Amino acid sequence: MTDHILEAHDLENHEALIPPSNWFERSETLQKLRKNKKFPTIWCAGCGLGVVMGALIRAIDHLGLKNDDVALVAGIGCTARMPVYMDFNTLHTTHGRALAFATGLKIARPGMKVIAIMGDGDALAIGGNHFIHAARRNIGITALVVNNSIYGMTGGQYSPTTPLGKVATTAPYGNVEPPFPICELAMAAGATYVARSTVYHALELDKFLTEAIAQDGFSVVEAVSYCHTTYGRLNRLGTAADMMRALKDNSIAKSAYDKLSPDEQHANTKIVRGVLHQNNTRMEYTRMYEQQILTRVQSV
Amino acid sequence: MTQPQPTEGNVSSKPLPRSGPRGEVTIYATWCKGCRICVEFCPPKVLEMGPLDNHPRVAYPEKCTACHFCDTHCPDLAIVVRKLE
Repeated sequence: MTDHILEAHDLENHEALIPPSNWFERSETLQKLRKNKKFPTIWCAGCGLGVVMGALIRAIDHLGLKNDDVALVAGIGCTARMPVYMDFNTLHTTHGRALAFATGLKIARPGMKVIAIMGDGDALAIGGNHFIHAARRNIGITALVVNNSIYGMTGGQYSPTTPLGKVATTAPYGNVEPPFPICELAMAAGATYVARSTVYHALELDKFLTEAIAQDGFSVVEAVSYCHTTYGRLNRLGTAADMMRALKDNSIAKSAYDKLSPDEQHANTKIVRGVLHQNNTRMEYTRMYEQQILTRVQSV
Repeated sequence: MTQPQPTEGNVSSKPLPRSGPRGEVTIYATWCKGCRICVEFCPPKVLEMGPLDNHPRVAYPEKCTACHFCDTHCPDLAIVVRKLE
């Protein structure tokens, strides 16, 4: 056995469990992780959030951005723990206010790539107001919304994206509220790049995140994930691997969706993956602010 | 449960069963939480769960095609796949 191969069943050999010092150098993804942080992450075994984190790191790495040129802003929740593990500028804020703080950061530092990482409840319930208004302003922030259909960290309360009829700890007889379609909401509010993918399609998620970060205006990427610990257990959906397989089976690419007849599109219950909307004609907010206001204020 | 034959390092000395790209899988046990996603989804079934604990192990390294499914889908970033030349 060569020294870098760590086999877990070799538990008698405790030296095999000590991380090798060159571990971070073995992969581009691992180099962007915070070196002084305790790993593994706090997420449950098999949670899709780790896949989203890997995709985000690969997207930033693909764009060739320096670590200091990227700021990650997060609120509260399972998803909002994500920036803790990454070696970029990070801002940890109150529940739902990630986009509010990110707006201030973007106006103060227009050259910085600001990414707001939010869960579905963080983005749409507590911070729903900030979400639609950031899209209305078209400010150059990337909103990464990880949709796991439930409030995972607080114990499985139903969220604005829990599907109709599904069980949550606060909806023991089934949820009676229709869910928010995140991408359609962002499109209607005026976002200039809207894409959706799932954690099973991780490389597609890389591509969409790369395009979203490169986009000038407000961009939204919905990463459909799962919570097997609360949502999956209450609704008897199986293990993490089962739920990931369900994402594979219950999603359809946008190119295939467009070929369906209108009746079939109407009856479609699968998750539509793809770039749902892109508009490069709207001007970005900080640039417009500089042109319309800052130049006039300075000339007075 | 049948025990896989021990292999020297991560690359088998057995003759290649096929042509095409090959990869070397490294699993970092201290980061792994044993969620089984890599074992259940690996297309050529390179990985399997270890007999003594709740972690995967590289059972058939010669089958790896460097498709990078396991390292992109490992939620704990505990797997690194290196494509062999």
